[in-house]
Amino acid sequence: MKLEIGNFYVKDIVFGDKTAYENGVLTINKEEALAVVKEDEHIIEADLVIVKPGDKVRLVPVKEAIEPRHRVGGGPVFPGVTGELMQSGNGRTLALKDCSVLVVGKHWGGFQDGLIDMSGEGAKYTYFSQLKNIVLVGDTDEEFEKHEQQKKNHALRWAGMRLAEYIGSCVAELEPEEIETYELEPITKRSKEINDLPSTVLVLQPQSQMEEMGYNDLVYGWDCNHMVPTFMHPNEVLDGAMISGSFMPCSSKWSTYDFQNYPMIKRLYKEHGKTINFLGVIMSNLNVALEQKERAAQFVAQIAKSLGADSAIVAEEGYGNPDADFIACIVALEDAGIKTVGLTNECTGRDGASQPLVTLDPKANAIVSCGNVSELIKLPPMETVIGELQALARDGLSGGWADDEILGPSVKEDGSIIMENNAMFCGDQVAGWSTKTMVEY
Amino acid sequence: MKKAILYLNQFFGQIGGEDVADYAPEIREGLVGPAMALDKALGDDVKVTHTIICGDNFMGSRKDEAVETILGFLNDLEFDIFFAGPAFRAGRYGAACGHICKAVKEKFGVPVITSMNDENPGVEMFSKEMYIFKGGKSAAAMRKDTKAMADFAKKLLNGEELLSAAEEGYYGRGIRHQKWLNPPVPATDRVIDMLLKKINGEEFVSELPIPELDLVPIASAIKDLSKAKIALATTGGIVPVDNPDRIQSASATRWGKYNISNLDHLPGGVYKTIHAGFDPAAADANPDVIVPLDALRTYEKEGRIGSVHDYFYTTVGTGTTQGEAARMGREMVEDMKSAGVDAVILTST
Repeated sequence: MKLEIGNFYVKDIVFGDKTAYENGVLTINKEEALAVVKEDEHIIEADLVIVKPGDKVRLVPVKEAIEPRHRVGGGPVFPGVTGELMQSGNGRTLALKDCSVLVVGKHWGGFQDGLIDMSGEGAKYTYFSQLKNIVLVGDTDEEFEKHEQQKKNHALRWAGMRLAEYIGSCVAELEPEEIETYELEPITKRSKEINDLPSTVLVLQPQSQMEEMGYNDLVYGWDCNHMVPTFMHPNEVLDGAMISGSFMPCSSKWSTYDFQNYPMIKRLYKEHGKTINFLGVIMSNLNVALEQKERAAQFVAQIAKSLGADSAIVAEEGYGNPDADFIACIVALEDAGIKTVGLTNECTGRDGASQPLVTLDPKANAIVSCGNVSELIKLPPMETVIGELQALARDGLSGGWADDEILGPSVKEDGSIIMENNAMFCGDQVAGWSTKTMVEY
Repeated sequence: MKKAILYLNQFFGQIGGEDVADYAPEIREGLVGPAMALDKALGDDVKVTHTIICGDNFMGSRKDEAVETILGFLNDLEFDIFFAGPAFRAGRYGAACGHICKAVKEKFGVPVITSMNDENPGVEMFSKEMYIFKGGKSAAAMRKDTKAMADFAKKLLNGEELLSAAEEGYYGRGIRHQKWLNPPVPATDRVIDMLLKKINGEEFVSELPIPELDLVPIASAIKDLSKAKIALATTGGIVPVDNPDRIQSASATRWGKYNISNLDHLPGGVYKTIHAGFDPAAADANPDVIVPLDALRTYEKEGRIGSVHDYFYTTVGTGTTQGEAARMGREMVEDMKSAGVDAVILTST
């Protein structure tokens, strides 16, 4: 399987008469773009705003981030989600780099939504403050979940994907400025030199804990709760086979943008043929019942063993209950003789004194840690808020609260905020960007 | 100008050796012994104003009195930070430094700093509760250990950025916080580095060290229960109402055993719980809910068990360190074995 990602580096984004890309400037016809957003009648209000690094802007509740892309030769950017099912990971896909489509609720947020500051002290807590963002801020008539803490955010998330495809299509006829090539020979057809290197699989545990449909990550449009672990080509993940869900406390979440650019996959490609033989991705999941957790771990270890993997990397999208899946998977791999490194974040509490993961095992002796979900963060007021600041306090965002007898509400009268890292949009960057770690004091 | 106070034992306080280890707490204005080195190491902005001296045995055997007296000394004083030691490998001194630092921190809310060698039992007892710097074996390390405490104290008092326990040189307190790496190294690079080292059998450092698990195998089953002598033990803090052994309500280091040979159950008003970790109402009204002597006597009468041991054993589990719990457990077991006990029912809360 050979994937070419053709890159266009976006240096500026402006609104204009025609949606087009020229000399690093992305121009968007707002009216036309909003028409794409409103193709779904459940979107009752929508606007587009451009925000850039350094802008004095706070975004909340942020629901999703997507990289604008176009599939050369036809077909949806997200097969099985925004169009017909087809094989992804082969051929050429065009990508607008250094920018993302951010989806923000005009009023209502929920447990799974997060916050982004584009400048100031808060900017360092998320990856997306470094990007130029096309912000879709909207409201829907999804009355059934307006006051629910857990929201599917279906209309807005799908609108974001349509918008990303619409914007991406403006480079359809252009030659990319750079082409990244991702190619792996079939496992049994690799050269002796590569076969002699220690082999590695990447095990991903995307979020799939909701028994009810509509909240979990999707693989080719299929709810990850309804699968047992399976072997995938890494190109599929980079090319739209996976989309983010709407469930996990936000700092632990992998956005669709994270899947499209999955740093750990790209890093393994860089090592492939040099230090390791990158076999591919075992797509696992996260479950609530113990038997489901054990079944998934058993599948992962068996697939890895059958592929002849010498080593594995396991990354989990979540914390708390999913830690049991994470540790069980590492233990199953180690028991199968596969040297394993874990990639996760921790929940050590606001005082840092709690046990870092729900379950621990001495076999999980190599873990890279990307942060503490419950770290307290205080931030000053921001000049402009896109969305609704009160959502952080009112709507049960995982890192916000309506009131606290000592700390008061998350949102203060002057617009300053106090929150847990939990609500930073994809803040812990467990997909691999994180330059945070955890240390003992 | 910030103010500091230092605690020393009778030896370093220049009173004398083992023969005066009963020396009662005393406070002196100014600098005694190691206080001079500490004062110097703290520089011009922090001054050691007083030295407190207390015999190790006095603190060991009359701890509550010693702590109360010293807290009394401190009541009228202004100070920004409190030091004790360094205690090196001296066990009683280490425990004394820990006890007084803990009490001072709780009462006055100032930072407390001490220093001990890793073989000092005070480390296990107190490292989760205060800054204990990794000290030398003996007084030969005095200057170095004192300087380490002083350097960190200056950073604390100046509000400077504090590094991790390992970087600063104190025993980790089990407190984990996130930190941005400088220079920034993305998780992807850290994973690859760790993976290659693990594959190649080289040493690597996990960013999430798993605490060592001390699993005890399950004992083999008793063959004939009807002949077995069964003892009762609890971490639920049930004691005679006057708590004759002064078992602590939390972070216990003491245990007791009490004769129950003439009792069919534990009556409320005669026994109670001193455990500070749960609502005591139900246990005080009926101590049998924690130490089920009533049920065991019934089994004894029915012949289902041989006999109930004449004593029950008790301590408090809340906040108690694993090390202290293991020691008390071993001591209890020795006592039970010498009395021919076949099995124990250990109740928690």
